[in-house]
Amino acid sequence: MGKKVLDILNEIRAAKNMAPIETIGADTKLREDLGLTSFDLAELTVKIEDEFDIDIFEDGLVSTVGEIFAKLEK
Amino acid sequence: MVFLYNNGKAYGYDDLLRSLNKDASYYPYYKTSDVYAYFVNLIKALAASKPLVLLDSDINPSEIEGLDESKINVAESIASASFQSMDEVVAAVKVSQSEITIFTSGTTGQPKKVVHSICTLTRSVRMGEKYQGQIWAYAYNPTHMAGLQVFFQAFENQNTLVNVFNQSREYVYQQICEKGITHVSATPTFYRLLLPFEQAYESVVRVTLGGEKSDQHLYDSIAKIFPNAKINNVYASTEAGSLFAAKGDCFQIPEAIKDKFKVVDDELLIHKSLLGSSDSFKFTDDYYHSGDLIEWVDEAQGLFRFKSRKNELINVGGYKVNPGEVEVAIQDIEGVRQAMVYGKANSILGNVLCADVVLEAGTELTELDIKKALGAQLQDFKVPRRIKFVDEISLTRTGKMKRV
Repeated sequence: MGKKVLDILNEIRAAKNMAPIETIGADTKLREDLGLTSFDLAELTVKIEDEFDIDIFEDGLVSTVGEIFAKLEK
Repeated sequence: MVFLYNNGKAYGYDDLLRSLNKDASYYPYYKTSDVYAYFVNLIKALAASKPLVLLDSDINPSEIEGLDESKINVAESIASASFQSMDEVVAAVKVSQSEITIFTSGTTGQPKKVVHSICTLTRSVRMGEKYQGQIWAYAYNPTHMAGLQVFFQAFENQNTLVNVFNQSREYVYQQICEKGITHVSATPTFYRLLLPFEQAYESVVRVTLGGEKSDQHLYDSIAKIFPNAKINNVYASTEAGSLFAAKGDCFQIPEAIKDKFKVVDDELLIHKSLLGSSDSFKFTDDYYHSGDLIEWVDEAQGLFRFKSRKNELINVGGYKVNPGEVEVAIQDIEGVRQAMVYGKANSILGNVLCADVVLEAGTELTELDIKKALGAQLQDFKVPRRIKFVDEISLTRTGKMKRV
């Protein structure tokens, strides 16, 4: 699961010409640390939904990687 | 002279004449997948000035509000006909008093009913010596406006129709060769199915595109496949029939009906005198909102170009995206055969822009390749965020792309 989320994040970064990241931790911040805009976050939700069938933003804002994992583990 | 080739069978105009004179009855509500039987019924009703409701062969009656299912395919008697020649039949059709009900294809929502007269349906039919002997690829649904336009053009000139609606690429090409097709009228989506260019077909002298916005890439490919063809556009709507003359990639409002149009906020408004009648039409001061967004090329001459459909704009995080514009940009990428752009509901942006893409055989493109290519020419919000590679793109009953 962690690997898949990392792949999606790197896919989004690649389209923005940003270098891939090696690791993510629970407290990695999506906007500040990974440089994601709201458009990027929307892409992230769509792609996670494709993969895991869960809309991570459905009930409120998610700002760290750890919060994504928490939603996916439910 | 052959009237119709359909599924390997040929029906002559003499067969048609016999069918018309045969039974003293017709079906006011006829649902059939037999195109010949459908045309016989249509001509019978028109020649006898009887009302007719045109139903798609695959329509589920419950999709149409207020349609009494028990009336479908029930014959009604009419005065028996004894036409001596096709000229007599054509003459009777031309002065028909029939009310013809057709339905909008409804890319979204329920099909809407529109009632037409023979005048609105045949307004753009051209007759005369230079229209003789044409062989038409019949590429539209016969119950819809564009299909009716082609039918009347061919029928009133006693030309030949070759049914290729919903057929495969191989079948279409085979029919063009075998029947020596001279005229093709179809949606851009139909022509995209004929790509990529492999061989030139010289018999075709006229290619008409209608129903959707097309692009230069497609024109260039069509010009290669049909090197002897003059390519033009047609604008025909379910509501109004055919209204404008094509001029290159533009349209011109004919001088005679110039005062029947207005443009408000880029949207084309059409005066009610040019339309069929329908309860679903809403008028502002007798003008109908077409939903087509246009831009003037030369306002004084009535020359304009279509930009998009009003209701097709996709709201992405407050930005309005014209899916047609993005589709054109994707289709311009080397190796792409067809693209469809649509919005997917999303909790952050309202909609996320998505694209389904069909690649030409033997090409390898990744989602990233396409995004990079688009990023170089489109604003960021117009670049689809999810790109799926698919084998084919689903179509509406009219043969237009179906937006999800």
